[in-house]
Amino acid sequence: MMNQSSPSPNPTWQTLVEFALPSQLDSEHLALLKVTEAVRELRLPAAHLERLKTAVAEATLNAIEHGNRSRPDLPVLIRVQVSQKALRVCVTDQGSGLSAKPVTPNLADKLNGRQPLRGWGFFLIEKTMDDLRLSGDDAHHTIELFLYLEGGSHDSK
Amino acid sequence: MTANKLEVTVHYQPNAAVFDLSGELTALAGEALQAAYGAAENQNPEVIFLNFASVDYINSTGIAAIISLLARARQANRSLMAYGLRPFYAELFEVAGLANYMPILSAEADLLEPA
Repeated sequence: MMNQSSPSPNPTWQTLVEFALPSQLDSEHLALLKVTEAVRELRLPAAHLERLKTAVAEATLNAIEHGNRSRPDLPVLIRVQVSQKALRVCVTDQGSGLSAKPVTPNLADKLNGRQPLRGWGFFLIEKTMDDLRLSGDDAHHTIELFLYLEGGSHDSK
Repeated sequence: MTANKLEVTVHYQPNAAVFDLSGELTALAGEALQAAYGAAENQNPEVIFLNFASVDYINSTGIAAIISLLARARQANRSLMAYGLRPFYAELFEVAGLANYMPILSAEADLLEPA
């Protein structure tokens, strides 16, 4: 589960990589590949890396499908940064405004047809990251994913 | 990098079908899973095992594909059971609640061995 506060109020962030991808099928694979490569030297524990890859892929999928409405001409921007205590991945799409938090998926409702089968992306992000932030304006929407390098809420697992 | 499309190989045990899954479980997997289910229905298995041992990636749309399969099986009073999941994905299935409807076994033999 997420923590409610970041590890440091004003950390100094070093950018590891910044790139743009078209909003098309498979871009989420490319995103997780590039992010994995960018953090290689951090030597994250395998469990942290699995969580990061899932969250980055789901955030990118959301940006492609919901923010950019699967228009290949609209880019998804991804920036990976590290501070002394945390890793931050910002995923920005060209959607407008600050999206409301999606409905929490309910499996019983999905099996009974009361909820659509899909709608797990944000749920998986919440469950795999230590913290996240949503922001936006008229032209962009950004989700920031935080993975604490030590003392995260998943470290005891 | 392109998605490694899911392949499903079906084989049968007494009263059971086993789907050996190989590749990535994404939205692209739905068609292969449903086709395999359709083929297995002819044998009327009580249980369908999903063998995830060769699945190297699962995303949210793949989870939706599994739920679609689960809904279809439940309508036919048929059980789905999973094994071979990597620990990280087993944990995701747990938090999503899938394990409540589709038991996650440590191995296929767990069910096939007599009590």
